Amino acid sequence: MSGLRSFVARRLLLGALQTVAVVLLVFALTEALPGDAAVALAGDQPDPARIAAIREAMDLDRPAYERLAGWATGLLHGDLGTSLTSGRPVAHYIADGFGPTLLLATLTLALLVPIGFGLGVLAARHEGRLVDRLVSSVTLAVYAVPEFALGVLLVTVLAIKLAWLPPTALGYGTDLLAHPAALVLPVLVLLSRPVCSLSRLVRAGMVDALASPYAAHARRYGVPGARVRYTHALPNALAPAVQQLARTVDWLLCGVIVVEALFVIPGLGTVLLNAVAERDVPVVQGLAVVFGVLTVVLNLGADLVAHRLTPRAGVAA
Amino acid sequence: MSDVTDSVAEIRDLRVEIDGRAIVDGVRLRVLPGKVTALVGASGSGKTTTGLALLGEYPPGARVTGEVRRTAHGTVGSDGPVGYVPQHPAAVLNPARRVSALLDDIARPQVRHLPRAQRRTTARALVLRALSDAQLPDAEALLRRYPHQLSGGQQQRVVLAQALLLGARVIVADEPTTGQDALTKSRVVEQLKAVAARGIAIVLLSHDLDVVRALADEVLVMRAGRVVESGPVERLWTAPRHEWTRRLLDEQRAVPQGGADVGSGRPVLEVRDLTAVHDRRTAVLHAPRLALHAGECLAVVGRSGSGKTTLARCLAGLHRDHDGEILLDGAPLPRSLRRRGRAQLAAVQYVFQDARAAFDEHRPVLHQVARTAVRLRGAEERAATDEASATLHRLGLPEALAHRRPGELSGGELQRAALARALLAHPRVLICDEVTSGLDTVTRRGILDVLAGLVGEAEDLSLVLITHDLDTARLAHRIAVLDTGELVEQGPAQRVLTEPRHPFTVSLMETTERLEAGTRT
Repeated sequence: MSGLRSFVARRLLLGALQTVAVVLLVFALTEALPGDAAVALAGDQPDPARIAAIREAMDLDRPAYERLAGWATGLLHGDLGTSLTSGRPVAHYIADGFGPTLLLATLTLALLVPIGFGLGVLAARHEGRLVDRLVSSVTLAVYAVPEFALGVLLVTVLAIKLAWLPPTALGYGTDLLAHPAALVLPVLVLLSRPVCSLSRLVRAGMVDALASPYAAHARRYGVPGARVRYTHALPNALAPAVQQLARTVDWLLCGVIVVEALFVIPGLGTVLLNAVAERDVPVVQGLAVVFGVLTVVLNLGADLVAHRLTPRAGVAA
Repeated sequence: MSDVTDSVAEIRDLRVEIDGRAIVDGVRLRVLPGKVTALVGASGSGKTTTGLALLGEYPPGARVTGEVRRTAHGTVGSDGPVGYVPQHPAAVLNPARRVSALLDDIARPQVRHLPRAQRRTTARALVLRALSDAQLPDAEALLRRYPHQLSGGQQQRVVLAQALLLGARVIVADEPTTGQDALTKSRVVEQLKAVAARGIAIVLLSHDLDVVRALADEVLVMRAGRVVESGPVERLWTAPRHEWTRRLLDEQRAVPQGGADVGSGRPVLEVRDLTAVHDRRTAVLHAPRLALHAGECLAVVGRSGSGKTTLARCLAGLHRDHDGEILLDGAPLPRSLRRRGRAQLAAVQYVFQDARAAFDEHRPVLHQVARTAVRLRGAEERAATDEASATLHRLGLPEALAHRRPGELSGGELQRAALARALLAHPRVLICDEVTSGLDTVTRRGILDVLAGLVGEAEDLSLVLITHDLDTARLAHRIAVLDTGELVEQGPAQRVLTEPRHPFTVSLMETTERLEAGTRT
């Protein structure tokens, strides 16, 4: 298992490098954009003297590499910096936004796993028959609808026409758990495409696994059908699904900007959107670090789980 | 013998048809407890279909008539469990689950009558007993391992243990000795004998006549879906009545002798101080010096796990964890395939044991064979196809078959195609890794003739035959013997086969002779 340990170490090192690269890229891109926080703050009084004054007050007149170096030094001490526009620590922004995002992600995931795997196994079990064709075509159709379109559709029908659910989470603050009704639509929209991709992957893996000689052997020796499906075939179908699941969780935690904006949920996506609009570079960079680390850790986790599920993988290479 | 009740399974007038073509026709078979019934025949003779019929399994889309009866503990009517040990035991072992997974599931119904608290321990005890009955030592540790961490022999015994745990009264063993070396083979024979001694009936499907001779009580010779001859093994061997039986036996006996001497001079391929390791630590192979001259055929012999395939993989650049040098025409070859240039890749070609796995099942064989010339020699598509066609024809694969997909070709035909594909690279060195194991005697004979032809006709082509089979090794000019990763002996084939020097070579020869003892009387 020392091979595994060195694999993890190498991946973590690579992940750190990747995160640094992401931060540099984000910094370079925000520098390349026209205008900066001073222009954004000056707002409707774009007096050049005033902008220059604001720039000087916020140290924006210093060269880019100096600002980057200062920020990076702070990061090494665990300090993500302070917002240019409000002066609040970036860590507070992230902590505030993380709650709603995590809540949405957890709820979505809790529903996604049973539904995705269940539909996949169900379709594989009835391969080629009505149930399979129904599941396969519906999942393909739903997968083809982008989130914003589905979101608008659901809001129009369920919230505005039928008035069953609140259309947005506007006014509920960050304590969304106290208003579960406001979470139904966002979670539905978030679920829609991952359920489809996951169930299709599980179906494909299960079709192969159920047709395999080892599944036939287990059936031959009298192992009940459900047990063959879930304990013998499914572990072989999981590896690709786990990778997809990691990508989905990554997406849920780092980038559901469209859904958050649509339902006015004050999560990380909203924080990011506002920060970009205000040219609040430290906040954007802080988020880039958080997103980078999350992506690296989640993918590493998925690789370790997949390694466990395909014990042969390391040997064949 | 005519008493119906003492048989544990019986097949009467079985006919299995696919698309109107009978693959098994009018087969009758009685399986007696404690006896070994062997079905022999070339591949495609219908013996596997007959064996699987005992398990109640038929190919998809088959039309079945006739009767298959299995008896549970002497009572007629209820079906008793039948065990199955397939040709490739690894295929029926779940790659993602530990060895214990299926064994526990088989034991579970047997402990259902017990109080919940006792079930787990009793089930584990049953599993351990089955493993020890299957002669697997250190069972506790073994249960926690994954199938790929077991040797081929261990995998086979785990599958056998599953059948024993099930309480099978009949065990169908499909080619249990195929692809095994002589020592392992004799162990499998002993093992199956021990199982039969417990009163379990064994149906042996095999084209390995040595093993049939050593094991079987009754033999049924099959050809094209029909039983052409049956009887006690002694009678069949000494006085075969059917012409096909005689032919099968003759093919087994006649093996050509390899040519005499080969030119010396600078070797085409040279191995110096090679030490190959697995997992960066465990040394699995040590070959201080090995040379291959132009036009020479070198057989690398050893039992499974001796490192012979690792040697072949090092030569081909498929195993890069090794020290030492591999020189092609005096120039060192990069260790990894990825670092070898086209000319170097073309110069060393590899033919794998499992020809079916080595082809893309969706494209016609001819295209895949021609592709080598296009990729490695930059030949024109048109010219490559013509050459592929000619080479396939030369190796005995008709034009019509070449246009088919791999799924429509037999194992022997595919192996010819695999050889043709390697030859299209115009290699200096052709490595054949157990290319004849897994084939029946008639087909094997054909492939060996093709190989013998290759050695004779092309002057600059050198062959490396990786084999556990001393009969195949006779084809070679020189033989190198590997045992547990050490090169224990090498020399001219004639000398090694007639006066082996190393004790391991002697024991390998003796086991082969013992297995063949009956065949050659």
